Amino acid sequence: MSADAKTASGQFSTAAVDGRAGEIHNIGYRRYDGGRLGRVQIVRALMWHSLRGAYGFGRGAKAKIFPMLLFALMCLPAAVNAVALANNPSGGAIVSYDGYVPSLRAIVMLIFVALQAPNLVSADLRNHTLPLYFARPIGRNDYPIAKLAAFVLACLAIVEIPLLLLYLGNVTQQHGASEVWAQTRQLGSGLLYGAAWAVLLASIGLLLASLTGRRVFAICAVGIPLFFSYILANALTHIGQVAYGPAGLGQPSTLSSLAGLISPFTLLGGLLHWLQGSPATTGQFRPNDLQRVIIGTYGPWYGLVFVLLLLATVGGLIARYRKVGVA
Amino acid sequence: MITQPSTPAEAQQPQLAQGAVIEARGLTKRYGTTVTALDQLSVAVGPGITGLIGANGAGKSTLIKILLGLLAPTSGQAAVLGHDCVSGGFAIRTLSGYMPEHDCLPPDVTATEFVTHLGRMSGLPATAAKERAADSLRHVGLYEERYRQIGTYSTGMKQRVKLAQALVGDPRLLLLDEPTNGLDPAGRTAMLDLIARIGSEFGISILVASHLLGEIEQICDNLVAIDNGRLLRADSISSVTQASAVLLIEVDEGTELLLAELSRRGLAPVAYQRGLLVQLADEQTYDIVRDSVADLGLPLGRMEQRRHRIEELFRQDPAAAASSVPGPTTGAASVS
Repeated sequence: MSADAKTASGQFSTAAVDGRAGEIHNIGYRRYDGGRLGRVQIVRALMWHSLRGAYGFGRGAKAKIFPMLLFALMCLPAAVNAVALANNPSGGAIVSYDGYVPSLRAIVMLIFVALQAPNLVSADLRNHTLPLYFARPIGRNDYPIAKLAAFVLACLAIVEIPLLLLYLGNVTQQHGASEVWAQTRQLGSGLLYGAAWAVLLASIGLLLASLTGRRVFAICAVGIPLFFSYILANALTHIGQVAYGPAGLGQPSTLSSLAGLISPFTLLGGLLHWLQGSPATTGQFRPNDLQRVIIGTYGPWYGLVFVLLLLATVGGLIARYRKVGVA
Repeated sequence: MITQPSTPAEAQQPQLAQGAVIEARGLTKRYGTTVTALDQLSVAVGPGITGLIGANGAGKSTLIKILLGLLAPTSGQAAVLGHDCVSGGFAIRTLSGYMPEHDCLPPDVTATEFVTHLGRMSGLPATAAKERAADSLRHVGLYEERYRQIGTYSTGMKQRVKLAQALVGDPRLLLLDEPTNGLDPAGRTAMLDLIARIGSEFGISILVASHLLGEIEQICDNLVAIDNGRLLRADSISSVTQASAVLLIEVDEGTELLLAELSRRGLAPVAYQRGLLVQLADEQTYDIVRDSVADLGLPLGRMEQRRHRIEELFRQDPAAAASSVPGPTTGAASVS
């Protein structure tokens, strides 16, 4: 009998717990009658979510270390310029908008793109989360487009915000509207050129990162080609100058002029020289010409390759997500 | 939307029925020239919980992908909630929630963050997404755990998160692909109870794909069985199993006494596990059992209606299945 009583009390207590839990949590199902976002707004929400992810927001403190460190590094020339200008106002700016320490920018962007592009795309590939996105009211291309827009914005932030700081530092030392206007115009072209960096590097980085779901492999897939192409382009430029010398009077060799097309960083450098018509056409650098990309008479090639590479990488990214399994 | 017939040829084709949740007509999907995933599948599914039964590779997942508008059929047409699957994919995906068969969860995110984000992706504004994510996770039985990273969850909890993300956008229809995959028996029962509750209390229609026929029987109103991309049978559970109901009776003590008493009163009880099975002829059977138990003064522990296992109904033609011995009885016979 005691065993029976125990069972009975045990059953009773279980039932009581269940009943209470039911009372608390059984709130019933609530319908959602409010407005729903359209396709464009959903894509914007995904873009914003990814943009935050690119800087480690919404994740642990560890995820923010590298993007913040790289961002600070990129701002350093602007800070140095501001200090130098404050101490010696007559000396003029030591950092230009277009040529914002290209070698630093190349290294910082290489690391930023290699580390952060995988954060945007490889987790969804690795965890097979994509079918959940595709089963929602967005189109097949919307996912890669949102990711690309997010990463372009992330790259724009790290490229352009230092330029704005540089501008602030310069403008405080200017006198008169004409000088400020001159600064603003230079800033404008600098921002435009910075946008070329952001767009190209973001699309290359995302395409390479989307090839694999493993984060470590994705970092290598982005970092290794970017790094070695940069080394190779610089080496070939140098070899071209030493081995072949100038092709004619004031004209660098073909090898030196075309070597810059190999790496996105030298491609962007060559693009600037072509647009500006700067001394890189001759290969005769002044000591303060930081972007040592020789383009010779092949300037238009740099413009053409830039456009083709951009189209190929964006197209490749969209094609990549057309192939990926639905479920 | 279903377009009105404009040519005589189209008019000859029967229109997709109004009011059906899912409607397929002559649906065919071929991969390349050799693989036929769906072959002239025509079926109409009404509201309620519908089981989609078939072996692995029978075409269940392909059908779900077509219904979501993610895959274009080779020929034929399909509609979900009145929207054509080819032209109305956006509308369908707004109105339906999808739970995939395989793992699809990031381990390094909390369930709340994940479901909230997917709520946004379903078109909910930020605040609504947060509220509905909390609601959905509570409905599937995740409370404080929802603030933990999904990587720390058990398989059963992960399945619940997958269900919650399908539920977050307040769908009219849930498409669940093998929701009990990888769960232990207790987890299966809990998941099936949950699906049954969503179907009955939340008023959401559910298509649940499974290769385990016995499971589906417990929770479905209707059944669609496919094999090699072809329709085997589509009917309501009750009409499929009507002729074969049995009653399971369990008493805490005196099972032998009851067996003798029921035999005396004209039923043919069979011992089954700890209880007795009798054929359920009509309402009178209940009365006989009640009176027998009451007269003997036995503590009645359980009395429930059981059906044929659905495997048998599909293994043979319906007439033969109806006349065969119920599954549990044969099981007991081999034991005793």
